[in-house]
Amino acid sequence: MQTGTFQPAKSVIRVSPFEGYTSYAPYTCTQCAEGWCMTACPVGAIQINAAGAKDVLDDKCVGCKLCTIACPYGTMFFDSDSYKAYKCNLCGGAPACAEACPTQAITFEEGPTRDWLGDFAAQRTVHVLAREIA
Amino acid sequence: MARHLIIGGGTAGLNAIRTIREEDGGGSEITLVSMERPYSRMVLPYYLGETISESHVFTATPASLAAWKVKTLIGRKATALNVKANTLTLDDGSAVEYDDCLIATGSRAAKPPIPGADGPGVHSFWTLDEARKVIADVTPGSRVVMVGAGFISFTILNAILARGAKLTIVEVAPRILPRMVDDACAAIVDRWLRRHGVEIRAGATLTKVEEVKGKRKLSFKSGAPIVADAVIMATGIRTNLEWLKDSGLEMAQDGQGGIVVDDHLRSSVKSVYAAGDVARGKNLVTGAAEVHAIEPTAQEHGRVVGANMAGRDLAYRGSLLMNIVEVCHLDVASFGGWDDKGAEVFTGVRPERSQYRKLLFRGGRLTGAMICGPAEDIWTTNDVGILKGLVQTGSDLSAWKAHLARDPFDVKPAFMATRTTAALLPQTILGRPSHSPSLPQSVATR
Repeated sequence: MQTGTFQPAKSVIRVSPFEGYTSYAPYTCTQCAEGWCMTACPVGAIQINAAGAKDVLDDKCVGCKLCTIACPYGTMFFDSDSYKAYKCNLCGGAPACAEACPTQAITFEEGPTRDWLGDFAAQRTVHVLAREIA
Repeated sequence: MARHLIIGGGTAGLNAIRTIREEDGGGSEITLVSMERPYSRMVLPYYLGETISESHVFTATPASLAAWKVKTLIGRKATALNVKANTLTLDDGSAVEYDDCLIATGSRAAKPPIPGADGPGVHSFWTLDEARKVIADVTPGSRVVMVGAGFISFTILNAILARGAKLTIVEVAPRILPRMVDDACAAIVDRWLRRHGVEIRAGATLTKVEEVKGKRKLSFKSGAPIVADAVIMATGIRTNLEWLKDSGLEMAQDGQGGIVVDDHLRSSVKSVYAAGDVARGKNLVTGAAEVHAIEPTAQEHGRVVGANMAGRDLAYRGSLLMNIVEVCHLDVASFGGWDDKGAEVFTGVRPERSQYRKLLFRGGRLTGAMICGPAEDIWTTNDVGILKGLVQTGSDLSAWKAHLARDPFDVKPAFMATRTTAALLPQTILGRPSHSPSLPQSVATR
């Protein structure tokens, strides 16, 4: 998803810190099978693009935000400047995030959709939770 | 060839039609009876605010319905259903036969029974026709009074301000948004709106509306009257079920009423389905039978019915009550049992940022949530959807409760570490991946 501006606050990849900012994990749209955002849209403004990603058509989106409460992953966003919803569309098949990542923490390859972060997040939060309880 | 009859051209009806065609590729007869040409009620506020044109509101055109092989009876009203003869009677006396039918007649705006409520310049904002009348009356510099401070009223608030009108909201309850947020959140929204120039009068019981020198004079049980150019009544909705009173279909008598349906959204008569506002479907969180008169429920109901009409055997897990509304760039959303009195509740407030969070637990499970904050804060997080995902999956958050009690704003690590994504990924409404909302090629070429 390209906004045409340099504005990290609008990134559709949100990096979460773990263990006191010693490790990080990027979080973004899974392009899930249901496409909760797509089926929720009352005007058909979210469609599947050539890369197989759910994509917001700006000229159809009215800004009602139904997609943002329908998406159970929290990967629908809203741009107050354009008054449109926006999300990861895999940049149409050539994701700029994978290109830009210097450590190959983000790569782009075909594969089944899965939970990339669950195990990582579970391991990296064990100590924090234990400390809080103690 | 099976004959499907869809009664009502709103969200539920149109989603049912699309799903039938996705499933059968055009191999059945579909007839749509609708009083109005299909449009999306959700987007009328943006037509009012002039950010979209009128043509943008329509969800189907005569050409698109023809392409989908749908026979249309637009402008016709259903007057009686004979479930023994499988026929629907219309207001022109004609009858339509069906093999199975969907009742998706939705709701209409309800005005309070006070003198002058039906007078000139006193509007509802529910149908496209009503929207056109409001547009004609709400002009720059005009003084508008909105009666009712609920979800519907708040969805058109931005548009009224954008039209350059001066707005006063009156509400009979002691505070705004009584059925969408709690007291603490309402107080934040109230302060925000007053700061943005909206006048609010809560606890005000409207007694009559009179026409005085071309203006509307509103009188109240107590307090001074208000004179306005236009009045918009956003005082609730009523389901369109009266026409079915002799049908013999089982209706719920208590609360919001509604057609009693099973987990396939079939009524007490197997060939008759109900969806959307008229259906008393299952609540995903509690399992109770309830009417959820919201757009997402109409959409999911419609698709499940469409699949079942097309011959699938598809059970529906239930709908999640949810709403989002934004007023003057302050976003407010609530999910599930946000007002559950029996829940364990954690709240967080950041008054200087107008931020509010509320998490409601039953045991280790999040059963309701509320989020409020300025757009520039809300949309730099994943939290709106994550709250929905946690309520939808019922992930076991037992290990995280102490953490969330301390900081109700920090839900994302809990979402990830409880592998909520893994629980969500296999979930689909139709038991298969959803299609793009465009015309399936199979229909076009058949």
